[in-house]
Amino acid sequence: MKINISRHQIYILLLSVFLFLFVLIFSFSLLIPEGKNYRIKRVELKKAQQEHDKYKNFHDETLDTLKNLQSKNRTIITAFDRPFSPKRFEKQYKSHFSSLRITKINRVADEEGFSVYEVNTTSHIASPTNFYDFLDALNKGDWIIGVNFPIKFIRDSEMIRSSFTMKVYENNRNKKSSASGSSAK
Amino acid sequence: MKYSYIKPRKKTPFTPDVQLIVTFFSMTLIMLFSTYAFLLFKNYTFDQDRQELINNKIDLQESIDKMDQKIAYIKQQKSLAEKVFTQNIVLKDSMANLFDLVPQRITLSRAELLNNGLILYGITPSKDVYNFMLLAPLRSIFQKTYTSFYPQENGWLRFVSTNYINEDENEELESEN
Repeated sequence: MKINISRHQIYILLLSVFLFLFVLIFSFSLLIPEGKNYRIKRVELKKAQQEHDKYKNFHDETLDTLKNLQSKNRTIITAFDRPFSPKRFEKQYKSHFSSLRITKINRVADEEGFSVYEVNTTSHIASPTNFYDFLDALNKGDWIIGVNFPIKFIRDSEMIRSSFTMKVYENNRNKKSSASGSSAK
Repeated sequence: MKYSYIKPRKKTPFTPDVQLIVTFFSMTLIMLFSTYAFLLFKNYTFDQDRQELINNKIDLQESIDKMDQKIAYIKQQKSLAEKVFTQNIVLKDSMANLFDLVPQRITLSRAELLNNGLILYGITPSKDVYNFMLLAPLRSIFQKTYTSFYPQENGWLRFVSTNYINEDENEELESEN
C-alpha cells in the first residue's frame, strides 16, 4: 500500500507541528510560571492589605484615644505649655489677698522630666480663709502650681502677713516635648 | 497564440487548509500573548500596590509611635498635675485643721508650717490653758513637741511651740500610701 502525501500537505503538517511546539514551549516556559507568580503575588497582596488594615484600625483607635485625652486634659496641657508670668499671676490672684508680691523666680531641679521654677511670694491676707480660697483657685488657674513649705503666717496688726514658696511646673523646652499638637494623618 | 481555452488557475501557498491552520494558531497565539501580557501587567500592579501598602504601613507605624509618645506624655502631665492639685488640697485641709485646733483663748502671733513640723508663736492666759487646749491636740499629731514660755507684764504668757513629726514614721506612712 502506497501512501501518497503531497509536498503541500507536508508543509502544512510541519507548520502545524512547529506552531504546536511553539505554543507548548511558550506556555510551559513563560505563561505557567508567570501564572504561578500571579497567584503568589495576589495572596501576598491580600496579606499585606489585611496587615495594612489592621495597622489603619489601630492607628485610628490610637488617634481617637489621643484626641480624647487632649480634649479632656486641654486645661492641663495648656497650663504646662504656658510660661509663668508674675504680672499675670498677680493680676489673677490679687482678689484673694490684700497685697501680693512675687519676688524671685529660680529654676530648680527638674521633676519627672518637667521644668520646675520656685517662686517666692509675700502677701497680706485678712483671714486664713482667703488663703484656702487661693489654694482652691490655684488648682483652676492658668499654670500648674503647688504651694510649698515653709509657709509663714505672721500677725501684722489686723492683717496676716504670709510668705511662702510655690513650685511652678512647665514643659521641659529642651526636650521639645509637647502634647498639644495633633498628628492626624 | 493560445494553446488552451481556459485560464490557468492561480497557484498560492495560502490554500484553505493553510488559512484554517494559520487562523487557528493566530487566535491561539493572540490568546496566549494577551494572557501573558495580562499576567505581566497584574504582577506589576500587585508589586506596586504591595510596595505602596508597605510604605503606608511604615508611615502608620511611625504615626502610631508618635501618638503613643504624646499619649504617654499627656498621662505624665495629668498625673503630675493631679499630684500637685492633691497636695494643694491636702495643704488646705491640714491648715484648716491646724487653725481649728487653736482655741479662742489662745492668740497666735506667728505660725510656721514646715515640711516635717510646725512652729507656733502666741499668747496664752496660763500654762494650764495651753496644756489642756493646745498641747494635747498637738501631741496627738506630732511626735516631738517642745514649748517655751515667757511671762508678760500683764500676767499672760508668750509661748513658742515647736512640733516635729518623726521623719521615719512619716516616710513609712508615705510609702504605705
